[in-house]
Amino acid sequence: MIPMEGDEEGREVAVKVNLHLTLRQFTNGQEMVEVDGKTVGECLKNVVREFPAMESSIFAKNGKLANVVEIYLNLQSAYPNELARPVKDGDEIHVTMMLAGG
Amino acid sequence: MLTAEELDRYGRQILMPQIGEEGQEKLKKSRVFIAGAGGLGSPISIYLTAAGVGHLRIVDHDNVELTNLNRQVAHWTADVGRRKVESAQEKLSKLNPNVTIEALSVTISEENASGLVAGFDLIVDAMDNLPTRYLLNKTAIEHRVPFFHGAVNGFEGRAMTVIPGKTACLRCLYRGPVPESKFPVIGVTPAVIACIQATEVIKYLVGIGDLLSNRLLAYNGLNLKFTEFKVQRNPQCEHCAHL
Repeated sequence: MIPMEGDEEGREVAVKVNLHLTLRQFTNGQEMVEVDGKTVGECLKNVVREFPAMESSIFAKNGKLANVVEIYLNLQSAYPNELARPVKDGDEIHVTMMLAGG
Repeated sequence: MLTAEELDRYGRQILMPQIGEEGQEKLKKSRVFIAGAGGLGSPISIYLTAAGVGHLRIVDHDNVELTNLNRQVAHWTADVGRRKVESAQEKLSKLNPNVTIEALSVTISEENASGLVAGFDLIVDAMDNLPTRYLLNKTAIEHRVPFFHGAVNGFEGRAMTVIPGKTACLRCLYRGPVPESKFPVIGVTPAVIACIQATEVIKYLVGIGDLLSNRLLAYNGLNLKFTEFKVQRNPQCEHCAHL
């Protein structure tokens, strides 16, 4: 877990990030990572800082989310502008992948 | 009006207070468009045929391959090389001769999609690629008919029901094109998702229960968990924003 930096009022902000199955290869099978951050984007960047090999699976080369990635904040779709969504202590992010098979 | 044979055949579901003879008659009068006769389309068409939906139009341009048989349960070993829709039609007609099964071996395209679905009560998405799913989503919105989405990969699947102009559509969540790839899958996964789609179709046709609308149901067979994500309409959606 990345050390908490605290929010503007000095409180620690802990956000749970649930990782899609395909991302767990980068976390040794770990399903959930707890990080800090004030936005969804900051939280995801902190996940990637902890598990750098995950970066290209979540982000496109331009730093935006990869098209196949879907983000849910507290089980609610964060689309559009997912990365800018503010988060608060105790929030939960799900990183999932679009499916196309049938 | 249900025949004596139909009253007998569907007796167990007519016993359900939510369905009854009235609901069964609604199923009999219904016309359902199923896009795809593969992993999802096989169980969807089997269960809708068994349930007594009056008319199914099944569209798929593929022939049966050996690699399909781990999941596409409407097709059997002797069917390898046949057109999928003909293979499915044969089995479904034997399962329930009361149901009209139309089998169309064509590629769904921008040019023909609207004509193919005209006159049908709803569209079931049993495709294996995103571009055709989006095309069908758009066509459903144009025709103002519900769209029953399902998709799978490996042990995972998802389903969502779209009511045009009222609930989030597939395109409401669109970020951009996704590269196509051969997807891994084991037959039990599309079976689970297909049964959820067929359940939704039956509920819609009979007019009962709560639909899987503005909710994306995600299934993970590995840890056997269902997760429900709330989704909302996108005011800028290029398919449904005008409704």
